[in-house]
Amino acid sequence: MEKNNKLIELKNIVVEFDGERVIDDMSLYIGDGEFVTLLGCSGCGKTTTLRVIAGFIQPQSGEVFFDSKNINGVPPYKRSVNTIFQRYALFPNYNVYDNIAFGLRVNKVPEKEIEQRVSEMLKLVNLQGFEKRSITKLSGGQQQRVAIARAVINRPKVLLLDEPLAALDLKLRKDMQKELKNIQRQLGITFIYVTHDQEEALSMSDTVVVMHEGKIQQIGKPVDIYNEPKNAFVADFIGESNIIDGVMEDDFKVKLDGKSFECLDKGFAKGEPVDVVIRPEDVDIVPAGQGMLRGVIKSVTFRGVHFEILIDVQDFMWMIQTTDEYKEGQEVDLKIDPDAIHIMKKSKYSGQFGDYSTYSDEMDALSEITEEDEE
Amino acid sequence: MNRKANIRQVLLNAPYTLWAAIFVVVPLLFVAYYAFTDSGGNFTLENLSNLSRYANVFKKSLLYSVIATIITLFIAYPFAYFMSKRSANVQRVQMMLVMLPMWMNLLIRTYSWTLILERNGIINNFLELFGIEPLKLIGTPGAVILGMIYNYLPYMILPIYTVLSKIDVSILEAAEDLGCNSFNKFRRVVLPLSISGVVSGIVMVFVPSVSTFYISQKLGSESEWLIGDNIEYLIKSTTDGMNVAAALSLVLMIIILASMAIMNRFADSSDGGMIV
Ligand SMILES: Nc1ncnc2c1ncn2[C@@H]1O[C@H](COP(=O)(O)OP(=O)(O)O)[C@@H](O)[C@H]1O
Ligand SMILES: [Mg+2]
Repeated sequence: MEKNNKLIELKNIVVEFDGERVIDDMSLYIGDGEFVTLLGCSGCGKTTTLRVIAGFIQPQSGEVFFDSKNINGVPPYKRSVNTIFQRYALFPNYNVYDNIAFGLRVNKVPEKEIEQRVSEMLKLVNLQGFEKRSITKLSGGQQQRVAIARAVINRPKVLLLDEPLAALDLKLRKDMQKELKNIQRQLGITFIYVTHDQEEALSMSDTVVVMHEGKIQQIGKPVDIYNEPKNAFVADFIGESNIIDGVMEDDFKVKLDGKSFECLDKGFAKGEPVDVVIRPEDVDIVPAGQGMLRGVIKSVTFRGVHFEILIDVQDFMWMIQTTDEYKEGQEVDLKIDPDAIHIMKKSKYSGQFGDYSTYSDEMDALSEITEEDEE
Repeated sequence: MNRKANIRQVLLNAPYTLWAAIFVVVPLLFVAYYAFTDSGGNFTLENLSNLSRYANVFKKSLLYSVIATIITLFIAYPFAYFMSKRSANVQRVQMMLVMLPMWMNLLIRTYSWTLILERNGIINNFLELFGIEPLKLIGTPGAVILGMIYNYLPYMILPIYTVLSKIDVSILEAAEDLGCNSFNKFRRVVLPLSISGVVSGIVMVFVPSVSTFYISQKLGSESEWLIGDNIEYLIKSTTDGMNVAAALSLVLMIIILASMAIMNRFADSSDGGMIV
């Protein structure tokens, strides 16, 4: 089969609810067989984007293409995409077998073939022997598998998955991540996956689409998104980042905190103000006098694999991750290599993120709770 | 521990059990007693064996109430369906309108229909304006069935609306997503999920319809009298009426229980909660 590198294309999609813009001029294409993840915090428009692709929402403006054909106005039941809904949405009046067989029955596939394909599916999702089980008597993980089988059995070209693992506990989530990835490889179909969990996005996807406030912030491979975030929002959202104000002095030369640093970036104007991203694991702590920046250790937290250390450098709080232990109050130097530095153009998010002065565990825990509550 | 819990359960249930005993079981025993005795209090089967006189009345009662129930269902289902799709505010208002007639006494509601259907009633007066001969509306089987439908429609709408409004929107979207057009979505998902409400509605309309009285007296003719009217007449107007009326009630009760059992079979197979 020839791979179409634009199986689905969104062009300048705008969606408004009660005059409020929820998707703002979104353009995106998705290749055949690709695993694409829409990543963003709750309310940024991920579900809405999926619903536009599935056909449940007509965008106020913009076009949706499927296989190069405009499908605006094509109702959901005529689109060759299937959805795994945020809360599974299984049919409570049918048992496991009948749920999975649903799509084939609607399309009048002979019962004989249905039987064979359902048993294939039960094997794929590891639910053999559950045919007669009532949906209400299944655990969350099992319902999840039925939802997958019910969608995949129709051999859609595209599977839309809306936070399919959000309701599962951590251990099960990890297992299901692997299984979903396997299923996708095995079937070779396109997955458009929605999550607010950046780790999940980075570990599963071929391509990650970072969204915020209805806009795409960055599209790229997981590694590129991590190593070369486009703006302060992405840098902060994906992993931890120190984001410092800097000025480009020349190609490969950036000035921050009054010191000149070598870097690998070029193409900026001389004297252009920029955001400088330095990941916490890329900074070395060295004895005072041997590094480039002088600071005082403000806090040390043990995180298992590493220590998380906050260092005050000229009133800017850096986060550094290291396996060596240091003491609070100690004066140290930071050593930063050229390949640890990533330069970003200034954006509307500049100055909002990347300073750990207000950072605390408590806030982290709080934000996690609210995120889970919303699911 | 288990025993304790049991005792507590019994104590908690005591008021209800007492209530049921006094107001449900005892009257039933009285009915049975009267049905099997004559006016002197001696045991007899005559009351029951003489009931064949009422065979036609039974048939008519059943026929009218079945017709009324079916028509009510076909009016109530679409109504409940479209109501459940409206915005929350519209749903509230529509619900009010459905319930409104229930706040009025059944006698008054039925009496007002006579004003509409009478020889000199509103409809015939209106037709007269166009020179149309007055129609015989009142005193017909149609009028009796109309009265039943009008009076019991809310009891059909409410349970159906309740189950329909509980169906999760995402389940309907899942059906669409899996290839259902509107018709398939209705047939394969909405209808099966609403069967329990339909069954409750049928029972709640059929039971009062089959035992109805007054409606048939007011809107029907002498010959449209139903079982309920006969029971009422027997009790009020004849000396040994109580015993025959009790026999009639007993048979009617058996018919009702049998039809409820049949309906419950449907509800069970569709795995739904019954209201009755
Ligand atoms: N049917 C709707 N009516 C009004 N507002 C909506 C509707 N659906 C979503 N929204 C709003 O659109 C925004 C994006 O929602 P959504 O796409 O569900 O976000 P996400 O899936 O990324 O959490 C939210 O602010 C949400 O409140
Ligand atoms: Mg969502």
